Amino acid sequence: MSGVILQDLNFKRESKSFIDALYAILTAAGLYEGPKYMLSALSGMAFIFTVHERLLHLSVTAYGQWVTVHKRAADSLGIYTVSDGGRTRHPTFPRYQQDAVQWIKESLDKGIGVVYWIPEFGVIYGYDDEDRVFYVQDGSNENRLVLYDNLGLNFTPFWHAQAFGDSVEIDPEQKVLEALRMAIDDWNTPYPVPPDESIASGRTAYSYLIRALMQGDYDEAGAVYILESYQQSRHEIMLFLKEAERLFPELKEASALYEQTVALFKPSEWIPTRNAKHKFINSHAMPSLIGALEKACRLEDEAVNVFRGISGRYPDLKRSMVPRWGLHMAR
Amino acid sequence: MGAKILDGLRMAVESRSYIDAMHAVLTHAGWTSYPKPVLSGMTVTGFRFVVERSLSSELATAYNWIAENFLAADFVGVTSNQAAGFTFEPTFPLYQHQAVSDMKAAIDRGRGAVFWKDRFVVAAGYDDEAGVLWYSDGEGLDLCRLSYQEFGRNVSPYWHYQILDYPVDLDPIEIYKESLVQAVYKWETHDIMLPKEDYACGREAYDAIREALETRCYDPSQAAELFRCYAASKRDISEYMDTLTSLWPELGDAAEAYRVAAASFREALDLMEEQKGMMGKESGSSLIGRMEECRQSEQKAIDVIKIFMRERIGNRFDHVGQR
Repeated sequence: MSGVILQDLNFKRESKSFIDALYAILTAAGLYEGPKYMLSALSGMAFIFTVHERLLHLSVTAYGQWVTVHKRAADSLGIYTVSDGGRTRHPTFPRYQQDAVQWIKESLDKGIGVVYWIPEFGVIYGYDDEDRVFYVQDGSNENRLVLYDNLGLNFTPFWHAQAFGDSVEIDPEQKVLEALRMAIDDWNTPYPVPPDESIASGRTAYSYLIRALMQGDYDEAGAVYILESYQQSRHEIMLFLKEAERLFPELKEASALYEQTVALFKPSEWIPTRNAKHKFINSHAMPSLIGALEKACRLEDEAVNVFRGISGRYPDLKRSMVPRWGLHMAR
Repeated sequence: MGAKILDGLRMAVESRSYIDAMHAVLTHAGWTSYPKPVLSGMTVTGFRFVVERSLSSELATAYNWIAENFLAADFVGVTSNQAAGFTFEPTFPLYQHQAVSDMKAAIDRGRGAVFWKDRFVVAAGYDDEAGVLWYSDGEGLDLCRLSYQEFGRNVSPYWHYQILDYPVDLDPIEIYKESLVQAVYKWETHDIMLPKEDYACGREAYDAIREALETRCYDPSQAAELFRCYAASKRDISEYMDTLTSLWPELGDAAEAYRVAAASFREALDLMEEQKGMMGKESGSSLIGRMEECRQSEQKAIDVIKIFMRERIGNRFDHVGQR
């Protein structure tokens, strides 16, 4: 009987929850040094923008098959990863669940935390064989316990866990270039979870968001979550481009475009937070909000054109070949 | 430092697909006693039909290995873990190391592993001192050797391996039924990983073949290999449907239609193989005729299946493949 608790792991909700988890795990394990916004951009996650047509809360995390998207994130950072997940209703799930209990414990034994869908993404930072529980951080002050036998079970139909291993060095230029290419991919992909067209990505996500706000037929809490996450991501992209323009001076133009985008945001006017428990979108601010989003969409489109110009000057072997993995239909 | 070679683990090239490797591993582990054609049907592998518009032979394996080889195992109740990628990716050495270690661990447990060595093959042993894996690729009875450093280095820059982990008890009736629904899905749906300009799937693959034959935009030897792979799939599926007919006589017409499709595909392959170069006009149109028979027969079989499985298909609304 044994157990482990990783004391140095400190999960804090600031960015997309997957990035918060990744940042906590990698920094504690010495696999990443640097600010969170760089991790968010270099992993491609900051550029992901997905919106459900009714602005449901799930919009922010419905950015595709997690195993695929999160593998892409680790690849672009040069970090080995293994993950599993899917629908808990499938008959093989109990076996995969017990398998995951083992590999999660092995990762913790090596001193590396594990990303876990609670939901939202959180971090498994310890286990205790005697009580057969995992310790999970969700960003609140109280930590959670998850029984081995309940691993993966939650109110959504999905489970997901992801562990990390050794890393390789990748040139900073290559990392930035890959981030720009992921940004282009996500901007152009209309639907992140085909064949479902109720959730849109990138440029199309803007039109879903604007349309729902105009029509007034949307989920209030979801809309707030989407907008807060959206603003946070743009802030991260702006900071990332400020650094990246040292490697690619042409990015100055994109950097300026994102500064303009961020300057459009009026968070306290759009989402008055007098009552933090029940946030809502200020209906009087709606015209200003919609106007800002329309403008931001044009600015981002221009920025992606800058990315495209840079990307086109360097070979892109990976995207010039049809892979044998990646995009697939829900199964 | 260790070494081990598993007794009696050999792959035979018959289905000309992933099934050859999977069947070798599962039968050796004692997890299945189904004949290959039945496994080909139950895993849905035999129902897959993807062509590149110039009929290149690489294309029988142009599909999402990670998604579909997972599903193949999942459908028959075997859990697996796998990984794949490009060898030119910076992280490849990390994965190569783990792949060798995972396959050795499987062999230590007495089980083979599937991996990609220019086709799907089976790891059957290793020797740490020599730093090599022993694998069976179906060519002859001898095992081939592959140094640990060469794992993943193939003619094309793809690497992949799959460890088939544990058997899970599933009701065979449910497996058969699901495979029928998935057959409809494969016939009607384009694989979203593949660009539509270059690839065609299911029903549309027949249109692409017809167009390539009519415009003569293909390499005959490549096309012949492609036809060999799919002639094997269609033959497997025809046998599979015969098996299901003994459970459900209502499927008799579907089995008969697949029998016709398999026979026509075989004739088309013979015509292909008789040609030493590009096809003459007469045999060209005869080949097109055979393919048209195949297409019609497969459509007929799918129509029968759709009636038989109408309730489950109806419950899946706009995504038949979603379980």
